[in-house]
Amino acid sequence: MTGWWGVRCVWLRYFDVYRKSFIYSIVTTFVEPLLYLVAFGFGLGGLVKTVQINGASVSYRQFVFAGIVAQTILFQSFFEAAYGAFIRMYYQRVFQAIATTPITLSEVLWAEVIWDASKATFAAMAVLLIGTAMGDFHPVGALIALPLCFVSAFVFASLGVLVAARSRTIEEISYPQYLLIFPMFLFCGIFFPMESLPPALQWAAWVLPLTSVVSLIRTLTLGFPLRLQAFPILAVWLAVLVPWCRRAMSRRLIK
Amino acid sequence: MTSPLSVLDLAKQYNTPGRDPVLAVRGISFEIHEGECFGLLGPNGAGKSTSMNCISGFYPATSGSSKIFDIDVYAHPKQARMKLGVCAQEDTLDTDFSVMDQMVRYGTYFRVPVEEGRRRSAALLERFGLNDKKDDLVERLSGGMRRRLQVARALVSDPKVLILDEPTTGLDPEVRRILWDVIAEERVKGAAILLSTHYMEEAHRLCDRVAILHQGKILDCAPPSDLIAQHIGAAEIEEEIRAGVRWKRPPNLEDVYLKLTGSHLENGK
Repeated sequence: MTGWWGVRCVWLRYFDVYRKSFIYSIVTTFVEPLLYLVAFGFGLGGLVKTVQINGASVSYRQFVFAGIVAQTILFQSFFEAAYGAFIRMYYQRVFQAIATTPITLSEVLWAEVIWDASKATFAAMAVLLIGTAMGDFHPVGALIALPLCFVSAFVFASLGVLVAARSRTIEEISYPQYLLIFPMFLFCGIFFPMESLPPALQWAAWVLPLTSVVSLIRTLTLGFPLRLQAFPILAVWLAVLVPWCRRAMSRRLIK
Repeated sequence: MTSPLSVLDLAKQYNTPGRDPVLAVRGISFEIHEGECFGLLGPNGAGKSTSMNCISGFYPATSGSSKIFDIDVYAHPKQARMKLGVCAQEDTLDTDFSVMDQMVRYGTYFRVPVEEGRRRSAALLERFGLNDKKDDLVERLSGGMRRRLQVARALVSDPKVLILDEPTTGLDPEVRRILWDVIAEERVKGAAILLSTHYMEEAHRLCDRVAILHQGKILDCAPPSDLIAQHIGAAEIEEEIRAGVRWKRPPNLEDVYLKLTGSHLENGK
């Protein structure tokens, strides 16, 4: 039983917390992607001048800026969902408190994932704005990328909520963090073209959702060739993770 | 006339993979009337909190029903819970907000407009002696203050049915008395109150009727004095309080519990 009023009400609760701790929120949302932009865009970008893919040539800064949009989506949504949801569920018992009011647990869980995705989209928007302002991204493509950012963040937020629901302690979140999130961050094409990897690793990387996100963002912002497999891959992850995380969290909370 | 809260044959079985199923609540039934405080008395593990969670609709019952003003909490949780205030046994205060903000925010979950929520919250905080803490974060409150705030928060929607799961456990006598006064006032205002406790004095003082809960079953249910008269009688009870020192005291609900179950309220053993 889900109504949008209830989802909105809980989303506003998250937004209110974000607004109240504005400076903390700004630092945790925007500083990390900015550091990556500076370190890799300007630092490494000074050493590696251009990247050639399928005959197209872009500067490394453009290439890595687009990757950092995807990395921002991954980190902001996954970490907010995994650690944030675990704290709200286990320590603060926010989910339990709200789910005994006229707002149902189903609505609380929708609001959780939508908030995590919203926060990640805000952060990604900042990177897109900087990239566009510096003339690295196509403005229209950057604008069209926003809904893609939200959908991608929804996938990683669902993964985060699933991890929170399945972790017995907050320390256990480190397992998927080191075994799945960091490998995705390193091998899904954020920092180098996928074509540099051995074919078997390329296949493995394409199974992971971040590769599709990186590829689609580069298509929109830099005009890279569209890789059609990205859509079904993201759709499958979305279709699997969203119901799975909701079921897992419901089972964790409701005996 | 429709009962504010009616529970019929409610049962709850926990099915944990790899473990034997546990029947925590075994077909309990009762009704609570307007302005009545109904107590569930039993030690830890008797099934009080599971019952409360099923009655509020947070846990699905294995069988049976729970209705608030004839609205089934499982079929129509939103409508049913509009009239319900819950104070859970665990601390569920929202530590991201100040005392006042969290009251107002909680009210919005019941569609209480912000201005109205602020007005109600101010009155409640005054009543609970928390007015000077209204701008403080929850983290800064003492255990007793947090508990008072949790009960105050449950009242912000002006509920017609109040579920209080061991609201005074672990509190000092002064704070306990404040909460007792508030519960008594809510009862006078016409709220139907379901109170779980393992304090016999609390049950005796606050409850119009008490259900003795043991291993998920209601063994008997009646006004406290009737339970004592029926199961123990009026004669004073002599007991040895320490080696060589004996005293006589009036019978109480602990004696009823002991007689019915063979175990004590404090620890259930």
